[in-house]
Amino acid sequence: MTTTTISEKDKMTLAREMLGKLVDRRVLAALEVCVRCGICTESCHYYRSNPKTEHTPYYRAEQVRRVYRQFMDPVGRAFPRWFGAKPTADETLSKLAETAFATCTLCHRCTFECPFGVETAEIMRVMRSVATATGYGPEMLIEIAGAAIAKEENADLFRDIFLDQVKELEKEVQDALGSSKARIPVEQKGARLLYVPLAGAHTIVPQAIIFNAAKESWTLSMFDTANYAVFLGDAARSKRIAQRIIKEAETLKVKEMIITECGHGYTAMRWEVPKWFGKPLSFGLRNIIEVLDEYIRDGVIHVNPTTNGEPVTYHDSCNLGRKGGLLEEPRRVIRAVVGDFREMTPNRLHSYCCGAGSGLVATPEWTDIRLEAGKLKAEQIRQTGARIVVTSCDNCRHQCGELSEHYNLGTTVTSISELTAKALV
Amino acid sequence: MSALQMATAGIALAGAAVFAAGVISILVAVQRRPYSPELAPVKGSPARGVLWAFTLGMLPLAKESARIHWVAYLRGIVFHIGIFVGAAYLVATPWLAQIPEPLRLWLAALFAVGAILGLAGFGIRLAEPTMRLLSTPDDYFALALTTLFMASAAISAYATDYLPAFWAISGITMAYAPFGKLRHFIYFFYVRIFLGLVFGRRAVLE
Repeated sequence: MTTTTISEKDKMTLAREMLGKLVDRRVLAALEVCVRCGICTESCHYYRSNPKTEHTPYYRAEQVRRVYRQFMDPVGRAFPRWFGAKPTADETLSKLAETAFATCTLCHRCTFECPFGVETAEIMRVMRSVATATGYGPEMLIEIAGAAIAKEENADLFRDIFLDQVKELEKEVQDALGSSKARIPVEQKGARLLYVPLAGAHTIVPQAIIFNAAKESWTLSMFDTANYAVFLGDAARSKRIAQRIIKEAETLKVKEMIITECGHGYTAMRWEVPKWFGKPLSFGLRNIIEVLDEYIRDGVIHVNPTTNGEPVTYHDSCNLGRKGGLLEEPRRVIRAVVGDFREMTPNRLHSYCCGAGSGLVATPEWTDIRLEAGKLKAEQIRQTGARIVVTSCDNCRHQCGELSEHYNLGTTVTSISELTAKALV
Repeated sequence: MSALQMATAGIALAGAAVFAAGVISILVAVQRRPYSPELAPVKGSPARGVLWAFTLGMLPLAKESARIHWVAYLRGIVFHIGIFVGAAYLVATPWLAQIPEPLRLWLAALFAVGAILGLAGFGIRLAEPTMRLLSTPDDYFALALTTLFMASAAISAYATDYLPAFWAISGITMAYAPFGKLRHFIYFFYVRIFLGLVFGRRAVLE
């Protein structure tokens, strides 16, 4: 955690102001409706992996609720002991920051298990914003978010290096397709699709192979879809990072932006960005999985499932599935490109988080917490007997790989795009 | 009407007035909070989402948590049914003499079960360490009020002479409701509507 030189008094003022601004109707309802019945307890992967009080969703939310009662609820302020309002000091904020960043992945699973539907994840998101504003945001997340902004500010510096790298990757695509005409177009004005990858060839090459096989009109984004400011709850920086790609799509006049297999990147661009800017995007936006689903359904590409003969299981990214609405599309594609698909139980809306969500995977000081929280997911994977775990989020991919090593699962991890590219005929 | 009945009816009416004013002020306060409507093009259906939130999404079978905590879940459902029927019964009490005796006795049985489940609520709250840790005086007071509300409803439905006790307790309960935990019933509707609107739009609940 970083601590800035803001005085304690200023931090409290800032925390109060931030809560006043961020507790909207949805968060207020989530704060007020909980009756502390404890029914949500086992819905959390942290609790299931290590059953202790601090890992229950209602304990976490209650810690923020007590600060809210102190700062914002007149009845709570008048009778703090009666209503459990908590005097807030520097130490309280520090502890709450740790709770919000390290022991909740904002996966929203508890919401659907709660009799009322309390959105603890929304409460924690607000707490992350308060923590970041008062100097308690995790250093690594701040650095990654800062680097994304710096890349835009120094775009000309990165451009030539990026284009050289793309040329190298283009050769891989040509080799895979056996065609020297295969291309990875960049800055292609008027292309139908702008494809936004992540840092890493595995989010460019397979997709380029598929786009070329589909004879698609597309262009590769100069930027990547990751937006770590979202994990910080930092609205200003989140908007700046998103703005880079929006500007690029508008400049190139594409019809649609296609986000790679990235949970938070997709959900932020698809569902949150229009709220941040107060208007819908001027172009369409889909995930690459939706495009693959369409290609296979319409016969634009042809696939052979026997190419991927080993047993495969699918891990639902919380952002893509429970928060993003992509629950059936990935399964349709996997069934088309894989010979032996095995579901984990539970799945879809009730799927467990892998433990890496909302920035935990990037924060080295919480590696042990993350791996422990992933124990339940590891058990789920083991029970399927699958040799390959497929997931459509890079953070989940990283975590599932580490879980395999940590819990001796003997599994490899891949993406839907990679399986599809391999199955192309 | 006896003096006692007059006095306790006055308490009930005063409690109802505080309750109404409190609920209105909460609604106004909620509406004053900022609200960011979803602006992304729909993938599913917000209307179907809201319908789901108040129907299928509330069924115990839809929740793993309800299967794990089926005793607490069932207790909660019957307890709340008792409270809602008790509220309707309170409105009907001026015409209590006209309610057929068998119906009154059925109601008395329901309220008695509700009161017993209210008492069980204390046991559950005290027995579970996390719940005990997080419970505030407001939690216990709200539970005590609603338990007394149902106990007095049960007694008055069984023996109408005790109606003044039910009116007095109802008045106190209603007057307290907007200030403490009991106000969660207002936010319940907001939470379910937001859940349906947001996740229905995103096609999560299809």
